[in-house]
Amino acid sequence: MNWIVEGLDREQLLDRLPAISGPFRELYRSVYRLPQVAPETLELCRLRLAQLHRSDADFALQEVPVSAEQRAQLQDWPRASVFTDEQRACLEFTEVHAMDCGAITDAQADAVKAHIGEDGLVALLQALGVFDGLIRLGLLWQAAPVGVHQHAS
Amino acid sequence: MPVSARVQPPAGNSGNVIRDSALGIVPGTLEPYLALNAAVWDAGPLPAAEVELARLRNARHTGCVMCQAVRYDVAISDGLTEEKVQMIRANEPDAELSPRERLLVAFVDQYNLDPAGMDDALRSALRDQFSEAELLHLSLLVAWFNGSSRCAVALGGMPEAMPRMEISIPR
Repeated sequence: MNWIVEGLDREQLLDRLPAISGPFRELYRSVYRLPQVAPETLELCRLRLAQLHRSDADFALQEVPVSAEQRAQLQDWPRASVFTDEQRACLEFTEVHAMDCGAITDAQADAVKAHIGEDGLVALLQALGVFDGLIRLGLLWQAAPVGVHQHAS
Repeated sequence: MPVSARVQPPAGNSGNVIRDSALGIVPGTLEPYLALNAAVWDAGPLPAAEVELARLRNARHTGCVMCQAVRYDVAISDGLTEEKVQMIRANEPDAELSPRERLLVAFVDQYNLDPAGMDDALRSALRDQFSEAELLHLSLLVAWFNGSSRCAVALGGMPEAMPRMEISIPR
């Protein structure tokens, strides 16, 4: 139960300050429309962030469809065979970014750029910023992201 | 150990620090990025000095040298002093900070270190000192600055130290 306005979910809380949450949501939506990174790859990175933050509610969300196999094997992605090399590079980058953005190595950044280019790396970083931000806000507010489309598993 | 820049910024000089940075090579997010940055400063109930204190405390967590060197002119015009900035940058909040300022620091620390672990005492204190709109503004600005600061660090190219520099909000 959130502690700012009792009874509201995360989306409803965001609605209470539209002058800022509006631009935040627009940036969030815009990353899925970028040509630099496949939306499915971004969605896998968002889902991995949800796992790392232990946010079951965010993991239950579906912004973009990904296969049931990829969802099921995401936690074990280094050993799973259902991810592309591009997805693997982005997932590895995502994990380090989540823990310590200063610890990202040149090799990890180069691996991402090898698949999606320099502009893809920037796009991925912008996406990780808003994904991580929204997940953290849900946890901080104790407000589940109800009100947006849920993944039907 | 400084990391070399991992992305080259766009050619040209528009005079806008965001457009001229590596972010400028992704036009699809550039306008939303600028709009959100402006909204965080202009469209919420917290005064600019408090926005800046939260931003600087966050920059301490992310280790962004540039973010820590910058001071926004609107915050200085709002009364932010360098003495107050140094209090915010200390490990433990200075006793001379106001209760509101100490809570700003506690909120930013909680966001960075353990967003799921806020205790009842901090929640209660935040509710006592800040309005609903102020808490939402604080939340969104920390989320925004945290993401952009992490992005800046991950892109590399920052020196080990930078002099203090006063800038205006890029629009």
